[in-house]
Amino acid sequence: MSKAVRTIFFKELGDLLRRRSFLLLCAALASIVALSLIIASLNYHKQLSDYQQYAQTLAQSGGAAAALPPQLSPLQQLRGSIEYIEIIGPVLAIVAGYGIVAKEKYRGTLRLFFSRPIGALDLAAGKLAALALLWLIIILVLLLVMATTLHFVGGALFSASTIAKLVLSLAAAWAYLMFWSALALGLTCSSKHLGSALLISFIAWLAVVLLLPQIGDTMDPDNQVPGGLFQSMHVDKSHEHAIMAHFGGYESARNALEETSISKHFERASFAFLGVKQIYNQQPVGYIWGDTWKDTALLLTGLLASAAFALTWCNKRNLIGRSWK
Amino acid sequence: MSTSSIIHTSDLCMRYGSNLALKNVNLAIAAGEIFGLLGHNGAGKTTTVSIITTLLAPSSGRAEVCGLDTLRDSRNVRRRIGYLPENVELYDSLTLKENLLYFARLSGVAEPQKRIAGVLDFLDFTTHENEKLGTFSKGMRQRAGIAQAILHRPRVLFLDEPTSGLDPQGVITLRQNIKSLNEELGMTIFMNTHSLAEVTKTCTSIGILRNGELLYHDSLKQTMAAFPDQASLEDVYLRIDADGR
Repeated sequence: MSKAVRTIFFKELGDLLRRRSFLLLCAALASIVALSLIIASLNYHKQLSDYQQYAQTLAQSGGAAAALPPQLSPLQQLRGSIEYIEIIGPVLAIVAGYGIVAKEKYRGTLRLFFSRPIGALDLAAGKLAALALLWLIIILVLLLVMATTLHFVGGALFSASTIAKLVLSLAAAWAYLMFWSALALGLTCSSKHLGSALLISFIAWLAVVLLLPQIGDTMDPDNQVPGGLFQSMHVDKSHEHAIMAHFGGYESARNALEETSISKHFERASFAFLGVKQIYNQQPVGYIWGDTWKDTALLLTGLLASAAFALTWCNKRNLIGRSWK
Repeated sequence: MSTSSIIHTSDLCMRYGSNLALKNVNLAIAAGEIFGLLGHNGAGKTTTVSIITTLLAPSSGRAEVCGLDTLRDSRNVRRRIGYLPENVELYDSLTLKENLLYFARLSGVAEPQKRIAGVLDFLDFTTHENEKLGTFSKGMRQRAGIAQAILHRPRVLFLDEPTSGLDPQGVITLRQNIKSLNEELGMTIFMNTHSLAEVTKTCTSIGILRNGELLYHDSLKQTMAAFPDQASLEDVYLRIDADGR
């Protein structure tokens, strides 16, 4: 890191940490994550207790347990928390990425900045680095909140594998949030009007986080009936695959729609590591990674693309050139 | 290009869409001068300064500062210049010292703390170093802006409308600062201004820009001698401006 980038990085980080309204929003996110985890923990304990009661009643009546114990993993309790990060997290990330450039464009401080012997690339790199560390700090706080709540409320005991899965899920969350911050930063640099940058960022959020995954989910026949279409019709997995083979084109289109959303890749990767998706529950990290590395790779590709977009559009002409008369 | 001039432009043109804001501007300013660029609003003064300070690329023509091309060698040009825009926008949430520290580091100043102390002492501004910029008056902001612009000991200092919006005391202090920088530190000063009274009291040479064209450029002494029938610089300015129509 060059001296100029380091100087910009420290100043921007200080500015970000001084923004009380933004920190309050982050604290709200952490509270929602903790609340969701508490509710999930209570539900988890209820499922466990229901099964134990069922097994005990059967034992007392002299029978053996006919149903298998529920396939529960403590990390599954994080499903709601991850969904909050997936949906609300980008809003905060957009606000941070937008604000870090908008404050300078609005106040006109960049004219003085560009009279110094430094380039626009230094400016963009310093701002991106500050955002990266900010999100790392927030993710670490969320990790602490999650681990504490899981342990003390959820009663979870942490093994090395559990910790690795939790850390990998939150690393994916960091990449996901950085993607949105870098995108908003690039859009704010490239837009002539600050309002347009914010509007475009939120339209992108609406499309990528809400619309595309929702369309994909709605097109999934298994989501048409609570509990799953095939399960309600008592169709087993092998028959389900045989039926769906007749709808290859439809399924490809549905999948392609979901694939265009970076939110879906984040969700798939984190749900796999946390065992929310049943087929990965209790599986070792290596197995899950082998099966879902594509989602992580696409998430990282998205992050690199948005960072490249920010670095390209953060130039002197965009930042001060257009405003000269 | 002339080797004796510290600022030199040749056939400088700038186009904004269909509007030609600068038309073949040729300037040569010698080291040690206090140059005042005069002109109406929209005459092209800020555009000229923006090009010479590397903030804008000209549509055609060239500009050099200290013998360095403003396009090809822009970073080295910026190492040698200081710039004070018309509206000094530093960071309101930071103190004066924090602002100066930031700009000193960006300028690559060695021992920035020591340099800041020296600059604030030179500008008699030490008492305000721990105050936030957001609390500063316009005059104090101008001085903070000057402090920022001279931290790295530039050879040329560019001031865009430096007295605009200042009260009489602020104007006097700023004038003293400009003269000290020129006489004690040997800085060449390039000043855009509307204030003819200020030019008369401060500058050693002037240029007059009208609709993007440089109508006149000479030393103040020569100018007054060339127009013996005019009582003041204001009369000279109006005469040159009228002749240029």
